[in-house]
Amino acid sequence: MTETTTIAHPAGAGQPEPGSGGAAYIELVGVSKSFDGALAVNNVDLSIRKGELFALLGASGCGKSTLLRMLSGFEQPTSGDILLEGQSLTGLPANQRPFNMMFQSYALFPHMTVEQNLAFGLKQERMDKREIESRVGEMLERVQMSEYRKRKPDQLSGGQQQRIALARCLVKRPKLLLLDEPMGALDKKLRTRMQLEIANILESVGVTCVMVTHDQEEAMTMANRIAIMDGGRILQVGTPDEIYEQPNCRYTAEFIGSVNLFDGVIVDDEVDYVNIKSPQARNTLHIGHGISGFAGQPVSVAVRPEKIQISLQKPEQAFNCEAGEVDEIAYLGSHSVYHVKLGSGMDVLVTALNDERWAGERLTWQDKVWVYWDEHSAVVLTS
Amino acid sequence: MKPAGRRWRLPGQHWLLVIPPYLWLLLFFLAPFAIVFKISLAESTIAQPPYTALYEYVNDVLTLRLSFSNYLFLLTDSLYFDAYVSSLRIAAISTLICLVIGYPIAYGIARAQGPMQSLLLMLVVLPSWTSFLIRIYAWMGILRNNGIINTVLMALGVVDEPVRMMNTELAVYIGIVYTYLPFLVLPLYSNLVKLDNRLLEAATDLGAGPVSRFLRITLPLSMGGVIAGCMLVFIPVVGEFVIPELLGGSETLMIGKVLWGEFFNNRDWPVASAVATVMLVVLLIPISLFHRYQFREMEGED
Repeated sequence: MTETTTIAHPAGAGQPEPGSGGAAYIELVGVSKSFDGALAVNNVDLSIRKGELFALLGASGCGKSTLLRMLSGFEQPTSGDILLEGQSLTGLPANQRPFNMMFQSYALFPHMTVEQNLAFGLKQERMDKREIESRVGEMLERVQMSEYRKRKPDQLSGGQQQRIALARCLVKRPKLLLLDEPMGALDKKLRTRMQLEIANILESVGVTCVMVTHDQEEAMTMANRIAIMDGGRILQVGTPDEIYEQPNCRYTAEFIGSVNLFDGVIVDDEVDYVNIKSPQARNTLHIGHGISGFAGQPVSVAVRPEKIQISLQKPEQAFNCEAGEVDEIAYLGSHSVYHVKLGSGMDVLVTALNDERWAGERLTWQDKVWVYWDEHSAVVLTS
Repeated sequence: MKPAGRRWRLPGQHWLLVIPPYLWLLLFFLAPFAIVFKISLAESTIAQPPYTALYEYVNDVLTLRLSFSNYLFLLTDSLYFDAYVSSLRIAAISTLICLVIGYPIAYGIARAQGPMQSLLLMLVVLPSWTSFLIRIYAWMGILRNNGIINTVLMALGVVDEPVRMMNTELAVYIGIVYTYLPFLVLPLYSNLVKLDNRLLEAATDLGAGPVSRFLRITLPLSMGGVIAGCMLVFIPVVGEFVIPELLGGSETLMIGKVLWGEFFNNRDWPVASAVATVMLVVLLIPISLFHRYQFREMEGED
């Protein structure tokens, strides 16, 4: 399934970056949280810019939900501080924070109509009745749910419930919108549609947003920036294409999309190139730029499957080039994934576009092939 | 929303499931009630049984004698009307007291964690392991002039002479609330324990404080449990006989006591039957209300 990332990714790469370069809007400074001595969130520093859609991405139990609950005020950090436009939020309970959260289960009030659900938060602010009515009407218009205003939540479909849950948050005009696994309760087909729909609504409102998800595709489609979390720490923060093309550690490289990792040591460390020897590769792994490392340092070389070429003919380059045999083929329509077994026993994944309709020219099982890649295609990971 | 859950039964088979409870109702509710209703239309007489027959078949003539005098008699003597009103009043007030005491109990149990919850539930049910009658006699021992409360109050010097509690309406309320509290707590608990905590979190997130959360989320969502619990208290209390008889005094007028008096003191079965029939009709309103809410609750869970 991970191969789909390569398709989803260009959409993320092309997105503009709202508020880039601006000062931090929300800032987390050394935030930690422990439950009964177990550290769930470990010394997190993070700054979120105004107007951006920021995703916390990680496997379950990585601390992303705890971080979200600390932002919402349901949990207080054990240490560290959360700042909104420079003002500390420590001690401010959830019902007094200008933040609103869309729950994974939506948590719509079952005894209230759509309209009453939306008005709930505004009534808490003791807002004028007419003002509430106009704000609710306007918001229902925006999420295209006006004709459902008198319905109860259980009379709505999953996608409609989600839009109401979103509208109930947005009608409060929060300074920060929190989304907890926003697509978690939807089936796969609806998910793809709602991702774009919600991203569009959020963009039109211009609200700053932090979402939590374990689905990399969701994060890459919707978010401007992504933070990869593992073990309560943030490993990398960046735009979707930065995270994908320049992972800073093995975990990130492996978590986002699929990757081929060669473990080796640096043999030549020069200003404009690096050579790495790996027991998994017969030939030298050559990187066309210098890195901050030293000869003899153990490193990993990561190459994405779509950056690797596959051919029956031996290429002309002496490095980044290995002989192998096609072990398995996953035909996915638009592209195929080849599992190529190298002489060292390593399994290399190669993605190739199926741009010819006729399969006659395509590779087949047990073909002796060469896999090779450009000197700028690989990334050296030191951790 | 989810009709799939209802499809498992085949149309023919579902009658098999429905028949036993209806047979049960027919045999143990409808038949006795028909007999009571029949007697209420007869006239009192000194005989065995002590009422006239409903019909006679003599010389090829079927004579049907329906006497409405018993019902008319209930209208003439204000005792009956007062007893009905007094019963409804006492039932309503005790239901309200049960609700005020029982809601926090049910809420507390529903919020308690793991083993604590089982323990608290156990404490609510535990008293009913002893006979109801024995527990009422125990209350007599507590409330008497030389009972526990008065002995302690006098020993402490709070009062000089015993406070009269036995044979007052207060004692009746104490007895009723004590006896019927579990009937309110249990259905309310089973409703409150289902309350989705995420709804409360969502309300908090939208700016609601604890009072607003309770009034606008918890209370409306527990309305089904409140009504079920209240009806389970109100309906039997209207016809309650033992508690007012043992703890109440002569001023406590309740329809159960009147009924007892008609049957066993006056030996006037027809009037007693008329009293019982009217009581049932009066109770039909809250009973149907209860069923409507229960039905809606079950619909909601489906």
